[in-house]
Amino acid sequence: MTGTLGIKAARVAVVLAVFALWEALARTGAVNPRLLPSASDTLAMLGELLARAGVRNDLLVTASEVATAFIVAVPIGVLIGYLIAENRYFAEVVKPLLFFAFSIPKSIFLPMFILVFGVGFSEKVGFGFFSTIFIVIMSTTTAVESVKVEHLTVARSYGATPAQTAFRVYLPSMLPVLLEALRISMIFNLTGVILAEMYASRDGIGHQIATWGENFQMKQLLAGVLMIAAIAMAFNELVRSVETRCSHWRT
Amino acid sequence: MQPLANVTSLKPAARSGAVQLTGVGQVYKTSGEGVLAVSDVSFEVKPGRFVVLVGPSGCGKSSLLMMMAGLRHPTSGTILVSGAAIHDPDPDRVGVVFQEPSLFPWLTAEENVEFPLTLRGVAKKDRRAKAQEALQLVGLDGFGQRHPHELSGGMKQRVSIARGLVQDPPVLLMDEPFAALDEQTRMTMGDELLRIWAATGKTIVFVTHSLTEAVYLADEVIVMSPRPGRIVDRLEVALPRPRTFEMLSGDVFGSLRDRIWRHIRKSA
Repeated sequence: MTGTLGIKAARVAVVLAVFALWEALARTGAVNPRLLPSASDTLAMLGELLARAGVRNDLLVTASEVATAFIVAVPIGVLIGYLIAENRYFAEVVKPLLFFAFSIPKSIFLPMFILVFGVGFSEKVGFGFFSTIFIVIMSTTTAVESVKVEHLTVARSYGATPAQTAFRVYLPSMLPVLLEALRISMIFNLTGVILAEMYASRDGIGHQIATWGENFQMKQLLAGVLMIAAIAMAFNELVRSVETRCSHWRT
Repeated sequence: MQPLANVTSLKPAARSGAVQLTGVGQVYKTSGEGVLAVSDVSFEVKPGRFVVLVGPSGCGKSSLLMMMAGLRHPTSGTILVSGAAIHDPDPDRVGVVFQEPSLFPWLTAEENVEFPLTLRGVAKKDRRAKAQEALQLVGLDGFGQRHPHELSGGMKQRVSIARGLVQDPPVLLMDEPFAALDEQTRMTMGDELLRIWAATGKTIVFVTHSLTEAVYLADEVIVMSPRPGRIVDRLEVALPRPRTFEMLSGDVFGSLRDRIWRHIRKSA
């Protein structure tokens, strides 16, 4: 986070105000408390949920699916993106097609994943992978294009091998763009996995949230929303801090 | 990349630092058609000399330099560096200094200078010692830990020169290294380069489009015509060394610069 102390304080104030408004709306009965349980009740429920072994297990299931999809999609996507960007002919053929594919909402393919993989781990990981890979490929092509020809010439003039050029010129040049891509692709990945869980799954936090919604358990539902929001934001900020450290030279 | 062991096995003659071009020509392929960029260029640079290539934009002077560096290949003719043909970049024989944006912005000045050594797997301690020596030579002692964006344009080019010198090649090729600098810095860097040259005894081939810079730095100026680039004149600069600012307004300097200018104006 950037900004002066005053700006930071104002940000905290905004968040607190939202929670205060939420509390007030529920407490005064301005909104039906059955539809909107108060913030304090929701936070208490959040603590209670986190203490439950079942919920912790659901979180673990979701985390393992998200991690698997991410770990598989990122290297494959980076490799494909790199190969596309490195071959000018291939890039010209494939890039517009990728943009077309990217514009399609991924959710419409979810039923096919269920048919192919059945309900379970591989369906959710598969769909997470599918939701992530396009943005990884596209960001990688952008990252490769950000590598300066001058830097490649320097490496060549000092006798760099292809592997040395890849690790000492391409990778560091691409790193800031790649980290940003990782951050954004994680958002897509998380969305994909949770959507798959909500749509067809027997476990996972997405499945729980869908169930709580169907059963009109608003307190649990909102607590689940807060939980996932906090996890997503924490990951995002973590990568952003690495990003800032790795791209200090980009001025 | 050549393994380090080969460096010591090179015959002494192979490090002489002579550069010899014989009948060098280059044809570019643009959309099927061949464009003659450089035509029948022959000249020899004796070891330890400072030779400057000048000519209008597009005369192929940078192309020639890239061919001497082994980064491009002549379509015809031969290029010998230290008595042996150059086909691929060979950092043992040739160091190259490029225009401004050639430093890696994610590395410190010292790491940039170490880069050629890093590629060959030289141990960290030896790399650092050599890099510090090179930085000291170019007058950047104590700036090793800065990143390029924390350095001025002139300092960045000093780092580039240090990087070109760190492996101690007998020949240094410089492709308009000061073109992006302001006039004042450019003059200072010229003096600095002459000091470094005197201290190291390298053979330097320097490309520029500044006539003043050419005459001020060179033992010999080679003037090239526009495309297809060929040699139209060669001038010995009979000014004593060290060169001084006062020489710029002298008769010898003026007549040499005029002579080059007449060639370039004719072709423009």
